[in-house]
Amino acid sequence: MTAAADTEQDWQADWQPVIDAIGTDFAEGAITWGGDAVERGAVRRYLEPLELDCALHTDPEVARAAGHADVTMPATGVIAWTIPAAWQPGQVLFDSADRDAQPVHSAINNADMTLGPRTTGFFGTDIEVDFLRDVIAGERIGRRGKTLLSCKPKETAVGRGAFMTWESEIVTEELEVVGRIRIGTYAYVPHAKDAGKAGKGDAS
Amino acid sequence: MSAETPLLEGRRFEDVAVGERLPVVELPLTVYRLVMAAGSNRDFNSIHHNSEYARATGAEEMYANTSFLMSAWERSVRDWMGLAGRIRGIRGFRMRSFNYAGDTLRVVAEVAATRLEGDVGVVEIAIRCENRSGVSVGPGVVEVELPRRTDDGATADTTTADTTAADTTAADTTAADTTGQETP
Repeated sequence: MTAAADTEQDWQADWQPVIDAIGTDFAEGAITWGGDAVERGAVRRYLEPLELDCALHTDPEVARAAGHADVTMPATGVIAWTIPAAWQPGQVLFDSADRDAQPVHSAINNADMTLGPRTTGFFGTDIEVDFLRDVIAGERIGRRGKTLLSCKPKETAVGRGAFMTWESEIVTEELEVVGRIRIGTYAYVPHAKDAGKAGKGDAS
Repeated sequence: MSAETPLLEGRRFEDVAVGERLPVVELPLTVYRLVMAAGSNRDFNSIHHNSEYARATGAEEMYANTSFLMSAWERSVRDWMGLAGRIRGIRGFRMRSFNYAGDTLRVVAEVAATRLEGDVGVVEIAIRCENRSGVSVGPGVVEVELPRRTDDGATADTTTADTTAADTTAADTTAADTTGQETP
């Protein structure tokens, strides 16, 4: 076996603990709640950049005629409305005046990964969502659990890492499961030439 | 679509044929639009609203975020099916290339399959995003439930239905079929 092959094998072997953890809920059932309940104004603002005209999301009377208690959240809003608040009272979010300085923390990152190689590059690759029922204004939703469904080490053009698929349930405050979301990610160590351009925790 | 769902305007299961093309949705990805999108869908990663930052990560420009791209699929499907349908699943939403500011996103879709699950009409819509570089997201599937039309022109789920509304829906559907649809 050549030295190159040894190296190839070594870096993939570093991911074995993650592969062995397939089926594990890394969040241990914890729920990450969206920063706010779904509410009419936020729904309207969600529609604006899309120019999405659907009265179920804007007109309570139409929504009620359809059997809902209030306007409905656009189905794809399960991502937006399960992102936690960016800031909490008492926290410092911005500690630098540099033009492109990043906030002290972000809700969108890979920082909670506890197994496998440390990676600095991260991006989302694919998503599947099951919408079990419509979410209504006034409801607050969260993502429960973060179960690893797959882990496939692979070297790509940007670095060495692994493609992983994670599943979470979308739940209401009453713990009703209203959806399931599976998110594919690629976490990697950038190639040397790209090391200075490593992703900043992008999951989107 | 439950039996208790009242009648709403929009497409009926029986009106749908495999191969039917949905109207193409075109969304110019201006900086203004992407900033609005980031603010509304809460994905504030700088790659989505800061060109300088995005370029430092190896991208050519700031680019649209996942929520916006996925909701563009919802826009396409909702435009086509109206109020009556319900989106129940999205599969194959795969990011293939960046959707940069300054480009125009086109959502292209067609009916791939239809089936009945009991009394529920289910339609699978093959869908993708295109930009100047070709397919950028997908191809994937949006699965929807549509109410059924009964033989008398009403719908199968008519707890508060009236036939006037159903007739109007049929007329709207015909009009939609003849509007500018493009080849996927």
